[in-house]
Amino acid sequence: MAEILKESPLKSVQVEALVVMKIIKHCSQTFPTTATGSLVGMDVNGVLQVTNSFPFPAVEVPSVDSHHDSNSATNAAAAAPRAKANTVYQSDMIKYLREVNVDANNVGWYTSANMGNFVNANVVENQYFYQKEMNERTVALVHDVSRSSQGSLSLRAFRLSPSFMAAFKEGKFTTESLQKSNLTYRDILVELPLTIHNSHLLTSFLHQLPSKPPSGPLDFPASLASLKSDPNAPQPPLYPNYDSLDLSIDPFLEKTCDLLLDSIETHYTELNNHQYYQRQLAREQAKITAWQQKRKAENATRAAAKQPPLPEDEWTRLFKLPQEPSRLEGLLNSRQVEQYARQVDGFTASISGKMFAVKSNLLPGDGQQ
Amino acid sequence: MAGQNSFLHVARPLGPAAIGSQPTTAPLNVVIQPQALFSILDHSLRRNADQERVIGTLLGVRSEDGSEVEIRNCYAVGHSETVEQVEVDMDYHKNMLALHLKANPREILIGWYATSNELNTFSALIQNFYSSQGDGTFPHPAVHLTLSTTPGRDIEARTYISAPVGVTPERASDSCLFIPVPYEIKYGDAEKSGLELISGAKDREDRTAGVVTDIEALERAIEEVLGLLDRVSNYVNSVLDEEAPPSNALGQFLLNALALAPKVDAADIERDFNNHIQDVLVVSYLSNTIRTQIDLSNRLATAALTTGAGDGLGSSGGGGGEGGQKGGREQRGGKGRGQQREREPREPREPREPREPREPREPRESREN
Repeated sequence: MAEILKESPLKSVQVEALVVMKIIKHCSQTFPTTATGSLVGMDVNGVLQVTNSFPFPAVEVPSVDSHHDSNSATNAAAAAPRAKANTVYQSDMIKYLREVNVDANNVGWYTSANMGNFVNANVVENQYFYQKEMNERTVALVHDVSRSSQGSLSLRAFRLSPSFMAAFKEGKFTTESLQKSNLTYRDILVELPLTIHNSHLLTSFLHQLPSKPPSGPLDFPASLASLKSDPNAPQPPLYPNYDSLDLSIDPFLEKTCDLLLDSIETHYTELNNHQYYQRQLAREQAKITAWQQKRKAENATRAAAKQPPLPEDEWTRLFKLPQEPSRLEGLLNSRQVEQYARQVDGFTASISGKMFAVKSNLLPGDGQQ
Repeated sequence: MAGQNSFLHVARPLGPAAIGSQPTTAPLNVVIQPQALFSILDHSLRRNADQERVIGTLLGVRSEDGSEVEIRNCYAVGHSETVEQVEVDMDYHKNMLALHLKANPREILIGWYATSNELNTFSALIQNFYSSQGDGTFPHPAVHLTLSTTPGRDIEARTYISAPVGVTPERASDSCLFIPVPYEIKYGDAEKSGLELISGAKDREDRTAGVVTDIEALERAIEEVLGLLDRVSNYVNSVLDEEAPPSNALGQFLLNALALAPKVDAADIERDFNNHIQDVLVVSYLSNTIRTQIDLSNRLATAALTTGAGDGLGSSGGGGGEGGQKGGREQRGGKGRGQQREREPREPREPREPREPREPREPRESREN
């Protein structure tokens, strides 16, 4: 990981609070459809500063709400960053933003995700499109709407690793090429450390939003009713967020497990495809060997009869070896499985902590035994 | 923001209305979403050095009867102001509006903002443009939002709508009566996690914050709650020791809060807790196993081939080499299948686990490992 970071022109990503809010708004509005948009900013000494963002135009969803249609709409939205119409939209928007002193460099794109299901061909193709076209200092920000709704914000920055870029450029993902480039599923995406940055004005504004309760003594309320209706009573602060104390985390765990199982299913299908290919290959190769042996025997008899030998490499014309299926799907799927597994890990970590808390709360004194 | 609750409009202030149409008199309420404010603050920072204030267009949604306006989005519009005249880039405004509506078809023009509290003739002029027929918000009143960004002062937001005032016809275009209307800043659940992260950086010198994991957020929230509990118990103790003045209202409030704890049987808790924690641990264990298996499967996919290719080099004929390779792959495929078979029986159980009574087999399994 450290090595890859050294090679990459970017070391970390710094996101303005404005961008965070804009992404959250856009992604949660279109949820559960995938939302995508463009990021602008600049890069300063290897730190990519994302200072503004705008969404890509919404895809017109046909009024027929059959399952198939909603699927195609999702795909169109997910493919938006590399669609031709949006390139025009993006350059128009950036042109206008430049007039009001916004950093007018495209530095990547963002997408929404649902329970970490973002490792797919679309994301990879989009990021490849950006990393290839632009000055290659671009990132993909992934905002996980469902995870953010149950606790802390999930916003991550990814780039494609140089080795994957090279492999994707060739478009070849055979066993042989993977072996040569030493590419594993862990090397597809490189995660960059991400920080949030506030402007001075924003900091000043944030101090006016609900914060920690005052530490000094307060006046006593006259009655219970006045305590409840007191407008000056402190509201729950934004930081730390007490929502993360919520106990109903099981649905999220369940959903992730479901997704994990789906991914394993896909993995299994991929394996089957590969085995089918191998059987096919073995059959063809057996045929070739048989043919070669036959030809050799024939040549031996011809040599004995003082006749010129027949050519031995004719088999290349007679037999055709099957094409090896691409390994890309399998690789991405493996990465996705890893992502889910880690997510499950994270959930179980906090859930077990909360469970012990609940237990010792309901059975006080049990902890001392 | 202290004065934001101090409005009293018995009837809604009248905006400009078409002759003959019945103007509604329901109170008008303005809701502002934080990302719009963030965007305005960002624009204010990016103004040209000689500009006192900057303006922009507000976008959002309006309820059916027009009594509630929600400001969701905004964009900057270039303008220049001198003592005698004001110029607003109308083409820019129209083009940007078209671009924004493409991405957010549900949002409509609401009004405009300025980054200074001052209301002057130019404000009236611009306000009249935004509420005009045709391009403006007519027949609804345009909302004007001012956000003071004077350094060293609180950031103060105010919202207005306007009414025409009786002056001579030639001065009608640059005069109007600004009527303050109440507003509130609202954020949804989706934004809460983002705001938490952003406000986490407000007390730091460098104004940056990293993205935290769920478990870290949980830890912070728990620590905070422990601190609050300590404070309350300190107070209660000092009341008991007759050091602090008691308060009936607070006592009642605390008693009510404590009464919320459910009465449950200790044995039930113990049983449910054990069941659930076992489920969670097994899920965690399985997800880790899956991760390892996937890793193994991917390694075998390329590693087995290495030995295969080595054999292939050793043998002479091209066909022989292929054969060696084939052997290597076959072996890999077999492993892959074996791994699947071994995992298969456990999989279907996973998603159901949290609800299922525990079978004695699984806990043993997790202890083994």
